Amino acid sequence: MTLTQPPVPDAAVDPQARTGRPPRTTPTRPTPLRARLTGGVFLAPSVALVVLLLVLPFAFTLYRSFFNDNGFTRSWVGIENYRSMFADPAFGQSVLNTFLWVVGTLLLPVGIGLAIAVGTWKLRLGGLARFAIVLPYAISGSATAVVWTFMLTTDGGLDTLLRQIGLDPLVSQWLLQWPLNTVMMIVATTWQATGACVILFLVGLQSIPPNTLEAAQIDGASGWRLFWAVTFPQLRPMTVVVVGISIVGSLKVFDQVLLLTNGGPGTASETLALTMYRETFTLSRYGSGAAVAVFLTIVVVVASYAYLRRQLRPTD
Amino acid sequence: MPDPFFSGPAVTRRTALAVGGGGLLAMALASCARGSDTRPSAPGTVTLNSDNPTWGPGYAAASAVLARRIGYRITSRSVASVANYGQVIRMTAQTDSTTDLIKWTNGYRLQDIARADILTDLNPVWDAAVGRGWVDPAQRESFSYRGTAYGVPLYKSYYAVFYSKKTFAENGIQVPTTFDGVMDAAQTLKDAGVTPFLSPGATTWEAEIWFMQLLASIDPDYYKAVTTNKASYTEDPAAQAIDLWSGMYADGFFSAPDVTSNDLPGLVKKGQFGMMLYGTWFANTLLANGLTDDDIGFFRVPPRGSTDPAIVVESGSLSVPVKAHRHRAAVEVAENWLATDVQTAWVGFLGDTSPNPKALPESDLVKDLAADIAATRPVELTRYWEASPTPLVEGNVADLGAFMVNPSKANGTTTLRSMEDRARTEWKTWNAA
Repeated sequence: MTLTQPPVPDAAVDPQARTGRPPRTTPTRPTPLRARLTGGVFLAPSVALVVLLLVLPFAFTLYRSFFNDNGFTRSWVGIENYRSMFADPAFGQSVLNTFLWVVGTLLLPVGIGLAIAVGTWKLRLGGLARFAIVLPYAISGSATAVVWTFMLTTDGGLDTLLRQIGLDPLVSQWLLQWPLNTVMMIVATTWQATGACVILFLVGLQSIPPNTLEAAQIDGASGWRLFWAVTFPQLRPMTVVVVGISIVGSLKVFDQVLLLTNGGPGTASETLALTMYRETFTLSRYGSGAAVAVFLTIVVVVASYAYLRRQLRPTD
Repeated sequence: MPDPFFSGPAVTRRTALAVGGGGLLAMALASCARGSDTRPSAPGTVTLNSDNPTWGPGYAAASAVLARRIGYRITSRSVASVANYGQVIRMTAQTDSTTDLIKWTNGYRLQDIARADILTDLNPVWDAAVGRGWVDPAQRESFSYRGTAYGVPLYKSYYAVFYSKKTFAENGIQVPTTFDGVMDAAQTLKDAGVTPFLSPGATTWEAEIWFMQLLASIDPDYYKAVTTNKASYTEDPAAQAIDLWSGMYADGFFSAPDVTSNDLPGLVKKGQFGMMLYGTWFANTLLANGLTDDDIGFFRVPPRGSTDPAIVVESGSLSVPVKAHRHRAAVEVAENWLATDVQTAWVGFLGDTSPNPKALPESDLVKDLAADIAATRPVELTRYWEASPTPLVEGNVADLGAFMVNPSKANGTTTLRSMEDRARTEWKTWNAA
């Protein structure tokens, strides 16, 4: 799933917290050794766990990507795994699909989530509408995929519905034609993930000081103008978080694609995570799988770092 | 504000952290310990690992006979996910954490792990079984690597056409005995408004089924040659097969490629099922779904023209890791696995054909097919899934799945070209390893 357990930073909930604090000053005296050691001791368990469970496995994956490895024997091949990865047309398709997922999940769940949160906020039956949107978020990704397989399969739920309302020309092989299958999988994900975006944007809306909105209204702003000029800028901390989570989630999308199309037909709808899985677990080419994993990690880290560095820069 | 964690004499935060951390550490250490599944089994038993958890009762039935013969029973364990199972065997078979016997596939997938010297030479077992008439010696090759057998057949299924007896009777169709007869039957069904063939495979392994069957019907020798790097996918028999397949699609003989075989029982009940080419192992699923021999029948796809009859065979391997705890007993079980009484108990559970031609299941459905095969003695071909190196097969089957979605003649030619290109690369890799 693209959006799971979203962390909500303090700054996102209370924008005052960031701007209201005095600027951090450089300490004039060096911290005593004893205090630094104490700090180190407290940090040690976390650092050890991160090194053990994250850094070491990554280093091993990186090491393994330079070998031809079938699970029994291992021989050094240098950058051959990377060379063949980039030469493989299926890999190019996989990168393209992953890019479509990133764009698609930014446009749909994030966009629709924002629209629903803003549109239903402070409405009388808004709670009911939001409940209906948020409900699918409680369903697991795999269960969602099973439901959508039933909907999107040839002559499945969607085709039957279209025939019943006389829209026969729209009947399609939803999961069998590219790029339609990728688009439909993004739609299926939207159905589930929008709820999380709505919740996060609502938290953001609640943290906007009412006096700024009232002031804008007194000045004559309303509707679209009020949203663009006053509400949206004040939602920025939360938008940064939602977009960040969405980018990372869509870069590593796996379960929906595996269950809905298995990356097919052929490798037409494969994403990078599926390519990694196919190389490693289906073909038992651990070196090639590791190379894809390293590439995916670099993409995720670079994208997240570049985005968050730009967006979370202190404004003061 | 008072700190909620220190407001009473109860558990302090530090204690909670210590207890939680200690518990996690204990669990982490416990998980590193050896599980009971990888320890030597109880006396009188050998362990078997498989990827099919539903076969437990079958092993138990066969064990009852094995216990009488050699005093050993099979204790089966399973890893339900096929992908995970492959990883588990690759890891454990190299260590003494292995089970005594493992289920694996035959053909190149068996050769792939046999090359790592982790399996026991079972040549003497084969010699004995062939001597007693317990197994067709022609199957030995698909369980061997460089002249040494590394497994015995765990089961044996054929690829044949399931058909609805009721639909056939309603439309006056006789069970076809020629290839053209199959096409005529399909046309009659089509005219009657029934989709002739249920054919899954757009994104699954099943994409291979019609390709391998058409090659088997057109030229079995070519099938053997192309799957073993002695012929090219761009040669005439493959082009004929893909053209024929494309033509059958154009004639509306096939269902949408994203159906599943599980749709079959429902279609039979609705009177909308015609035929499906599939493994005979599926018969048991149909019987379990309430269908009977009166609903469903089987026939072998006849050869096209004057070609010799051929049938595709799927088999699994029962292999003994070199590091098995009860190695001698495991080899003894492998030796007796193909015995007629053990196999009768085993296929009594599976409801399928047996590697031992004398052992037959209770269902007339499979018995009739077995009798037909015994009478006509068709050439038996290894299923495509096991007939070439794994990366080649996986890639080509994905290509065939894509062809099923867009089954034009032009795309057929492109598909064969792509399969041939992959064959060149993957055979080079296989031969270099």
